[in-house]
Amino acid sequence: MSRLWAFWAIVRRQLIELKRYPFNTISGLATLYIIFLLIFLGAKFIGTAGTRFFGESLEGLVVGFMVWTFAIAAYSDLSWALIREAQLGTLEQLYMCPFGFRFVSLAWIAGSFLTSLLFVSVLLALMMATTGKVLHLNLGSLLPLLLLTLASVYGVGFATGGLALVFKRIQAFFQILQFVFVGLVALPANTWWAKALPLSLGTKLIARVMIDGIRLRDLPASELLVLLANGAFYFLLGFLALWGCERIARQRGLLGHY
Amino acid sequence: MPALLVEDLVKVYRGRRKEVVAVDGVSFRLEPGEVVGLLGANGAGKTTTIKVICGLILPTAGRVEVFGIASHRRQALRHVAAVLEGSRNVYWRLSVEENLAFFAGLQGIPPRKARKRIRELIALLGLEEKRRTTANLLSQGMKQKLALACALVKGTELLLLDEPTLGLDVETSHELRGLIRELAREGRHTVLLSSHDMGVVEDTCERVVILAQGKVVTDDRIDRLLGLFRTRAYRIVLSGHLPPGAAAVLRSRFPLLKLHTGDHETTLEVELAPGYDFYELLDHLREAGAAIEEISRAEPDLEEVFLKIVKGEK
Repeated sequence: MSRLWAFWAIVRRQLIELKRYPFNTISGLATLYIIFLLIFLGAKFIGTAGTRFFGESLEGLVVGFMVWTFAIAAYSDLSWALIREAQLGTLEQLYMCPFGFRFVSLAWIAGSFLTSLLFVSVLLALMMATTGKVLHLNLGSLLPLLLLTLASVYGVGFATGGLALVFKRIQAFFQILQFVFVGLVALPANTWWAKALPLSLGTKLIARVMIDGIRLRDLPASELLVLLANGAFYFLLGFLALWGCERIARQRGLLGHY
Repeated sequence: MPALLVEDLVKVYRGRRKEVVAVDGVSFRLEPGEVVGLLGANGAGKTTTIKVICGLILPTAGRVEVFGIASHRRQALRHVAAVLEGSRNVYWRLSVEENLAFFAGLQGIPPRKARKRIRELIALLGLEEKRRTTANLLSQGMKQKLALACALVKGTELLLLDEPTLGLDVETSHELRGLIRELAREGRHTVLLSSHDMGVVEDTCERVVILAQGKVVTDDRIDRLLGLFRTRAYRIVLSGHLPPGAAAVLRSRFPLLKLHTGDHETTLEVELAPGYDFYELLDHLREAGAAIEEISRAEPDLEEVFLKIVKGEK
C-alpha cells in the first residue's frame, strides 16, 4: 500500500506542475499544432506525396503525428525531469525514496503517460477539426496498443534518463532522437527488421484501429505478439541501462551534480 | 544497536589521470538520540561521508550501517532523511503544504497520517501563514525551514543535516538552532549535523567528529574538547602606563606575555603555563605600582578548538 502512496505522490506532483506552468503547457501545445499545420498545408500543396511521409493518407498523417508526439514525451520527459531535478537539488531527495529510484522512474513515466494523454487528446481534436477527418477512437483497443507501442520508447527514455544522470548535458542527443523517431513512425512495418525497431509496427497497428476502425481482437495475433515482445525487449533494455548508469552515478558521486 | 555505524569508510574517486581519496578510513558511531556535529574544512570529506550514509554515493571500502542495515540498501532509507545543501531540497513551484505532502507520500506515508504530521510541522516551524504559498515566494530562512520540515515529515529516526543554516541571517539561524535543540530534547531523533558555523554546532551538539584530509582527527564530547584547550589565559587592563623597568621584569618572568600600550591604559595578555602562579603576576604588578582596572579570563570556543585540532596542535 505504501508504494501506492509514493506512486500517487509522484503523479500528483506532475499534475500540479502542469497546472503551475500554464504558459509552458499551452505554448507546447501551440508549437506542436503549428508544426502539424505546416506539414498539413505543405502536404496539401504538394499533393498526396506529402502525406505519404507519415502514412498512406491524410488520416495517416494525423495518426503518425499523434504517435510521434506521444513518443517525444515518452523518451524525453524522464530525462528532462532528471536534468531539472539535478539543477533544483531535488534529485538526491528523489533518490532517497525507500522504494528505489527505478520505482520513482516508473511512477514518473506513468504520470508522463497520463499527462501526455490529456495533451494529445486536445491536439488530436485540433488535428481532426483542421483536416476534417474523423478517426475511430475506440479507447479499449487504442490504449493497450498505445501502451505497447510506447513501451519501446519508454525503454529509450530510461536509457537517455540514465545517460542524463551520468553526462548531465545530453540535449543534442535529444534533438537527433526526435528525427530518428520521425523516421521510425514513417517507416512501413512490412519487413522483419522494421518490426524489430521501436514504434514502426505499433504505429501501423494504431493506424488500422483509428483509420479502418478495426478492434484490437481483430488484429493479427502474430503482429500483436511481435509488438508485445518488441515493447518488452526495449523496455527491459532501457531499464537495465538506467540501472547501470545509476550505479556509475553513485560510484562517481554524480547524483548531486548538474 | 547504534543508530549509525561508520567503520573504516574509504571513498576514492578515480579520474583518468589521478585518484582522489575523499574519505580515508573514517570510523564513528551515533547512538540513538545523540546529536553529533561533523566538522571539517572544505574537502575534508564531510559531504561525501553524509552522502554515503544516505546511499547516494557507493563507498570504495568499509561498512556504513543505519540501524543495522547497510546504507547502500534501499531498506536503510526507511530510517534516514537528509537536508542537503540548505534550501536546494524543495520544489519551488509547489506550496509549503504540497511540498510536505509530496515528501511524505514519497516515503509511503498514507495521506491521512501525513496530513496530521504536516499540520504539526507547520505549527512547529511557524509556517502557518505561508502554508499555501509556493516555495519560490518564501524568504531564504523560510525555504530552509521548509527543507527541514520536508526531511522531518518522513518521520525517520536518523536525520542528516548538511549546512542547515547556510546563508541565513543571525536571527533565523538562532531560530533554527532552537528547533534542532528541541528535536534533540524530544529524543526521538538521532542527528548528524555538518556545518561551518561553529556556533550552531556548539549550540546544538553534544559531541563532534572532526575530519581533516579524509580522516577522523577527533571524536569527543564538546565540553571535554573545550576543557582540553582551556588555557590559563588572562587579560588584564591597567590604568596608565607601566614603568619601563617593570615591563622588562614582567617580560623576563612571563615569556608569553603580550603588552599593548594605549593612550590611557595598558593591556596585558598572558597565558600562564602550568606551574606559574597568578598571584605572582599580581605581586609584580603591585610592586610596579600598577592600578588594575579589569581582569578577565579568555575562554576558548569551538572555533579555536577546531582550528587548533586541524592544525595538529593537540
